[in-house]
Amino acid sequence: MTKRDISICVNGKWYELAVEPYETLLDVLRDRLGHTGTKSGCAKGECGACTVNIDGKAILSCLTLAVQVDGKEILTIEGLHKGAEPHPLQEAFVKQAAVQCGYCTPGMIMNAKALLNHNSNPSEKEVRKTLSSNLCRCTGYERPVKAILEAATIMRGKDER
Amino acid sequence: MKEGFFRPREYHRPNNLQEATWLLSSFGKKARLIAGGTDLLVDKPSEVECLIDVASLDLDYIRRDGDGITIGAATTLDLIERSQMFSAGPYVVLSEAASNMATPTVRNMATIGGNICNASPAADLPLALMVLDSTVKIYGLGGSRVLPIGVFFEDVNRTALNEDELLVEVHIPPSPASTGASFLKLRRHQTAIDLAVVNVAAKLTCSDNFCEDARIALGAVAKRPIYAEKAKRLLTGKGLDGKLIQEAAEVASQETKSIDDVRASAQYRRRMVAVLVERALKLSVTRCGT
Ligand SMILES: Cc1cc2nc3c(=O)[nH]c(=O)nc-3n(C[C@H](O)[C@H](O)[C@H](O)COP(=O)(O)OP(=O)(O)OC[C@H]3O[C@@H](n4cnc5c(N)ncnc54)[C@H](O)[C@@H]3O)c2cc1C
Ligand code: FES
Ligand code: FES
Repeated sequence: MTKRDISICVNGKWYELAVEPYETLLDVLRDRLGHTGTKSGCAKGECGACTVNIDGKAILSCLTLAVQVDGKEILTIEGLHKGAEPHPLQEAFVKQAAVQCGYCTPGMIMNAKALLNHNSNPSEKEVRKTLSSNLCRCTGYERPVKAILEAATIMRGKDER
Repeated sequence: MKEGFFRPREYHRPNNLQEATWLLSSFGKKARLIAGGTDLLVDKPSEVECLIDVASLDLDYIRRDGDGITIGAATTLDLIERSQMFSAGPYVVLSEAASNMATPTVRNMATIGGNICNASPAADLPLALMVLDSTVKIYGLGGSRVLPIGVFFEDVNRTALNEDELLVEVHIPPSPASTGASFLKLRRHQTAIDLAVVNVAAKLTCSDNFCEDARIALGAVAKRPIYAEKAKRLLTGKGLDGKLIQEAAEVASQETKSIDDVRASAQYRRRMVAVLVERALKLSVTRCGT
């Protein structure tokens, strides 16, 4: 086996690692760096539980090799809050009771974050289309959709201030 | 090391095509290109020892030139779905196919080159590219060659690429005026992650309902995506009406080599080809602007 040295930035902190060419970003985040907020649901691209942001885009960490993201900045659910203050998406998910078992939640929120990066005022239809990447067997999607729309409104308000 | 696991020992990210083909030819069957990884990292083939990433080959572009539209092999589907170039004319067939594929997050990663080179009989983009008369540009040790996309697919997961070759770009020639095209797909559960039971692309050039030219491409009904040649001949040079379109759709369904599999029976597939072709042709007529 030939390990490769990579450096990746996770939630603002740089890490130097030696990884096997077949190690996924998901496994590296969870097993090497202890960032277990990112979940493994299916490990084959179908459920969205492993969604993280790279360059502001939603990406599946189960279908990304760690060697492929050498030099990149990765944002996970653990990097959203500012100090003691949760991100508006996190707050809205709690307030709207959009979390039941919670397994899909980190992936949903990271996907919503990427949506709001390029569309600060999404329609309900756009939110639903985005969430078609995330399987949730508890909530029926109603409350997550509400939570994301609410967070978008709050975030727009903050920008204007 | 246990047999049967995905355990590549090497990972390379070449900066130019020469380097990539050199790596491909020196590792032979043990090498595999990786783009978005949304096929490869699901299949995880155990025979792969060397991964060659296309990420630094500068193959992510969509360009309009005097002679049509060129798409780099590493262009992701979300860009194709949103591109202005595929928002009008017969070219909408490509954004329709792209936006019907997988989930939005998968589309952020999946590339056009990966969809073509994986050569799944049920792949979506090849059908749209086939009705648009696209060609593919291939690069290998012997330099470049260009093939019509229809002959690029040889069998399930097998293409015309030699071991030292990779797909560089896809070229779509300009279409004549008053040409309309469409893409339709039937899935088992109509969810974003279900591959096609049957998928169909059609393109018609017609003036005052007189059909000057036609293309129909069918997926998931043979070992590779196919053109419905007989149906095309039936339509070409005739006045289009509901009856002729229905007849052509029947003929198209007879041209398939459908099989029974986990997603559907052969008989159901043939019925659905007729339904989808009829709808795709009707939609294409309305888009001809006549
Ligand atoms: C949940 C899910 C849903 C999906 N739904 C659909 C669907 O609805 N329709 C559909 O058609 N597909 C679907 N797919 C399959 C897949 O997403 C697409 O085929 C995708 O376009 C593959 O592109 P990629 O860049 O990820 O390919 P990769 O996995 O990186 O590569 C695929 C194959 O192509 C080869 N390859 C890649 N680039 C090149 C190149 N430039 N030259 C030569 N060979 C190359 C690789 O060696 C590999 O064999 C789905 C996949 C997932 C995980
Ligand atoms: S774990 Fe990555 S999509 Fe399910
Ligand atoms: S809250 Fe349980 S899967 Fe979504």
